[in-house]
Amino acid sequence: MTARNPVRAWLGRDINVLLLAGAIGLAAWPFFAGDAYSLRLLTVAGIYALAAIGYQFVFGHAGALSLAQGAFFGFGAYVAGILSVRMGAGFEVTFPAAIAASTVLAALVALPVLRLQSHYFALATLGIGQVVLLVAVNWESVTGGANGIPNVPALSLLGATVGRGWPMLLLVWSLVAIGALIARRLTGGLTGAALRLMREQPMAAEAAGIDIRGVRFAAFLLSALYGGAAGALQVHTVRVVSPEVLEFPVMVMLLAIAVIGGRTSVAGAILGAVLLVHLPEWFRPLERYYLMAYGLALLAMIVAAPWGLIGLLRHVRQRWLPEPEPPPPVAGPMPVGRPPARLEITGLTRRFGGIRAVDGIDLVVTPGESVGIVGANGSGKTTLLNMIAGAEKPDSGRIGWAQADIAGLPPYRIARAGIARTFQTLKLVDGTTALDNVAAASWHEFGGPGRDAARAAAMALLQKLDLAETAWKPCGALPPGLRRRVEIARALIGGPALLLLDEPAAGLTAAERDSLAGTLAALNNDGTTVVVVEHDLAFLEKFVARIVCLDQGRIIADGAPADVRADPGVVAAWLGQPLDEGGGHG
Amino acid sequence: MEFLQLAINGIALGAAYALVALGFVLILNATGAVNFAQGDLVAAGGFLAVALAGFLPVPGLLLLPLVVILMAGLGLAVSAAAYWPLRDRPPVAVFISTIALGIVIQNGLNGLFGAEPRAAPPLFSGGHLEFFGLVIARQSLAIMGVAALLIGGVQLLLKHTQLGRRLRATAQDREVAAALGVPVGAMVALTFALAAALAGVAGLLLANQFFITPTHGTDFIVKAYIAVVIGGWGRVGGALAGAMLVALFETVVAAWTDYAVATGLLYAALLTILVFRPQGLFGEAEGRRA
Amino acid sequence: MKLRIFITAFAAFLSLMLLQGDALAEVPNFPVLVPLTGFLSLEGTSQRNGAVMALDEDKSVAYGVFDTATSPEVAVNAMERALRDRIHTGVIIGPILGTQMLAMLPLAEEYQVPLVTISGTAKLTEMGNPWIFRFFPGDAVTKVAHARYAVEELGRRRPAILYQTTAYGQSGRGHLETTFRSLGAVPVYQEGLDVSVRDVTAALAKAMAAKPDVLVLHLHSGPTALLVRQARAQGIDLPIVAGSAMHQPTTAALLEPSELRDVCAETGSSPISGGSPEMERFTADYREKFGSDPDAFALAQYDATRMLLVARHTGPTGGAPLRDWLASHEFRGLAMTYKSDGKGNMAHDAVIVCYDGSTRTPHIAMRYKGVDLAR
Repeated sequence: MTARNPVRAWLGRDINVLLLAGAIGLAAWPFFAGDAYSLRLLTVAGIYALAAIGYQFVFGHAGALSLAQGAFFGFGAYVAGILSVRMGAGFEVTFPAAIAASTVLAALVALPVLRLQSHYFALATLGIGQVVLLVAVNWESVTGGANGIPNVPALSLLGATVGRGWPMLLLVWSLVAIGALIARRLTGGLTGAALRLMREQPMAAEAAGIDIRGVRFAAFLLSALYGGAAGALQVHTVRVVSPEVLEFPVMVMLLAIAVIGGRTSVAGAILGAVLLVHLPEWFRPLERYYLMAYGLALLAMIVAAPWGLIGLLRHVRQRWLPEPEPPPPVAGPMPVGRPPARLEITGLTRRFGGIRAVDGIDLVVTPGESVGIVGANGSGKTTLLNMIAGAEKPDSGRIGWAQADIAGLPPYRIARAGIARTFQTLKLVDGTTALDNVAAASWHEFGGPGRDAARAAAMALLQKLDLAETAWKPCGALPPGLRRRVEIARALIGGPALLLLDEPAAGLTAAERDSLAGTLAALNNDGTTVVVVEHDLAFLEKFVARIVCLDQGRIIADGAPADVRADPGVVAAWLGQPLDEGGGHG
Repeated sequence: MEFLQLAINGIALGAAYALVALGFVLILNATGAVNFAQGDLVAAGGFLAVALAGFLPVPGLLLLPLVVILMAGLGLAVSAAAYWPLRDRPPVAVFISTIALGIVIQNGLNGLFGAEPRAAPPLFSGGHLEFFGLVIARQSLAIMGVAALLIGGVQLLLKHTQLGRRLRATAQDREVAAALGVPVGAMVALTFALAAALAGVAGLLLANQFFITPTHGTDFIVKAYIAVVIGGWGRVGGALAGAMLVALFETVVAAWTDYAVATGLLYAALLTILVFRPQGLFGEAEGRRA
Repeated sequence: MKLRIFITAFAAFLSLMLLQGDALAEVPNFPVLVPLTGFLSLEGTSQRNGAVMALDEDKSVAYGVFDTATSPEVAVNAMERALRDRIHTGVIIGPILGTQMLAMLPLAEEYQVPLVTISGTAKLTEMGNPWIFRFFPGDAVTKVAHARYAVEELGRRRPAILYQTTAYGQSGRGHLETTFRSLGAVPVYQEGLDVSVRDVTAALAKAMAAKPDVLVLHLHSGPTALLVRQARAQGIDLPIVAGSAMHQPTTAALLEPSELRDVCAETGSSPISGGSPEMERFTADYREKFGSDPDAFALAQYDATRMLLVARHTGPTGGAPLRDWLASHEFRGLAMTYKSDGKGNMAHDAVIVCYDGSTRTPHIAMRYKGVDLAR
């Protein structure tokens, strides 16, 4: 252990010093300007902070531009308002009711909208908000129509009234604190790294056993839950519930808070909410031009700090208090290997339009084997690999693995069954360290709090693959050869019984190829079954005992490397053509 | 007969929405970014026409070139303020920056012109024509004609000119386009100028037919957004079809039911379309995803 | 570099804003909280201008104008801000938007501050809150005059009602229907229009299918003009009796005089129609000061503010004393005479203005006095 300045060590952890200063400042503020107006603004800011923390689940962590958070917020406000005015219910009833109502609404709409991508998802969620608004305006007997429902009583909790000013401020910010802690627990540690992998490299995340649809569903529900909770608080602060709470400006506010504060940081949501609630108030003396000034300030902030104010603060800290690279974690035991199994493919077929990319392939790989799959471009190699890994669905055929047919299962289930893969074009998170790139892939196994265990396991793999030096380096800064190996380390963290590699030698120097071949041979010796799709026959011959050659979706040769090389069919279909420098077909 | 009248009004309204959507699609194609200020640019164009008409009491057709030039300048300013500094950031940053810019434009108009609805001069002359009992406003005919000309013109420009090829190359991959010697910055700026000029034309036409207030931009952008998504992200023709669909719900469907139900049905139709065709009715323009 | 400049500027700005306070004056303060942005900024601006004109003429009180935009939340924030200075601020001039006023009422009671408004939303004065004073005839006055004129003066029996799906529209629609029914003229058709609807052919077609003999509108300014224009273009020449938005000079400016033939509107007053030398002077002064024509909202807010100033010169400037003074005194304003009915309704007269098809300036066709008092 290197001796470190304890203050420095403490400062080095995340942004605690800034967080603490911010929290103290925030807490001290109302004492200095303790009038009702300041207390109200801070209360309102707390409510938006709560809704924005929730919004970060779906928008920040799951990376989906949902425009329904305003609707969940407003829906919660309506449910709480109606219950408290019409039935005299206290907060102990309205709060859980609003949360439940918003969450149920989210669960109902999730089915059709969650499978949509990017802007289709954005518009569909915007549509949900518009429909809820339409109902609120037109169902006058229940919602009071456009006038809304006046005379919402002050918040009462178990018969005691929580009044405006300090009591309400404390209640709201206590709930913000609880919500923030829960959110940090749910998204911190290893989960944060896994979510980032899911956002930036969804295919790699699925291949690491992460159920993206499940995570997105959970994030959507959580965001609605927080939105409903914030709505229940809002209605008692404003004392009326009216359609304005469902209108687009509320959604814009939450989106702006998340973008300007920081998309994935709880502190960012709080900072953003406090700032954006106060910003228009500061400009108010400008009369009708104050919103123009607000818009300009918003624009300036997003241009100056596109990663959010928290991102900016991290950047500033990095410049003024640069953080020394910590020592690499102590390597833990290697991941426990999954029980070996036999891969048994029969009649596997996949068509694209009229072309049979894979045409009735039968193939058996026994445990501990190492097999190379070769063939010309378009011969169906990658499609075959993708079908085994679940990234593409076969049209017909069976893929037997450990007494089950895994054909057509989603990738994450195949990954959990002990089949890991790498990608032809690397799918690493460039901004994350090599260590955490590898560790994130074991989220399914270790869960959020298991970051240290996951890092220890990742470190063991990095050492085994000669990558110990890169542990704290961001992947984007590594040379291609090392990046390939990081991806292999990631594939190995689940202790797979079968490792699928898609052109692992592409783009490597001769020396890197030799070293990679050695690594793969060692892996195979340890008992991992290896299937490699590759062009470079010379590279394969260094470590595989068997080569399968494909042509037009069919197997034309299968045997020892020397036999396949000599096979006249193989020569005609593949080797007969001019070889490129890699020794295969370009 | 009544149905025909509703359908004609629906098509005229759809042409108006299509004009709004056109500029939106252009920027989407060139930059992959959603310009949420497009609706407010339409409002700005409308007010510009109103202001110019105050100095020059001539038909809209003669004001049009001035509006186009001034709005193109505004478009350059928009791209410099809200897009260019964020070009390498996630698209949602531009989403927010254009929302912020929309707030600035909307409240700037409110401050400069006040909140009262205004009317711009008609393109040729006001009034309406009657054929076989069907009534159609002259301005509606002008909107349909101008929309057809501009949509056709933009398609021609993109598909059949050197400039269009460069714009499309920029849209598909900026780095590759730059490597091929396309002046990427100029192309993006040009797109914004063009989109704002189109917004100006839309504003001038709509501000006569439907009047204009500073808050109208928000209504326009929501409808343009729906039209573009229904038609398939980034497709000019798809946006036209989407705009027609939105307008038909507002006229024909609203006549069968009522406005609230028709709006609800529009969103239901939107969700249904997305469930069965998650890439819009006509599929997505290739290689573009914001 | 850019970053450092930004951070410095931001920090400077932040500290400046934290230190700022509203300047304290030694005179009473009448905060004007009205919507200056958003879809009601036209009416809010009239409110502002009316209040500012009265305050500038008098010069004995300080005032600040603050936007309430469109949401209750912003209005309540603005109210708390205005009431930071409790020593000098004892009254609030509140927004025309009913939902905002509804949110401000409980606060007014807690702070013991009278709220003076021109919002027409009926509910405001039906909740037993003694702190509200309404200087514009509410729905219970204007909508009764509206319906009575259509039935009694125009002799119509089959009204078709088109209203806005906003707080203003839905609240007025209820009163219109009740009054029409009590007059034996059951509405043959009713539909709510969203403010974003641009083409109203569908609504007109359905309304006409119900064979009405009068179109009764209760819409905001732009939609009123759109509907009148599209109805006339479709060859519908039924009389149209519109809501108060039609009387605003900016609405009439959107239409040709010929399109305005047989169009009438209810309102509290019509300053540009003249009627008395004081009214004409007000209109001329207003035009000079603000460069636009005054409407009934501006005049009502002017009258309301002048009544507050009369109180200020005779004694109470705020709180319970001002509340009691407003509740017990009568004030002869330019538009009408204001007196509380015990619930805070100060205005009880309405007028119907009609356009003759040759100018955009309406004439007063009918005056209804003490509509809600004579029961």
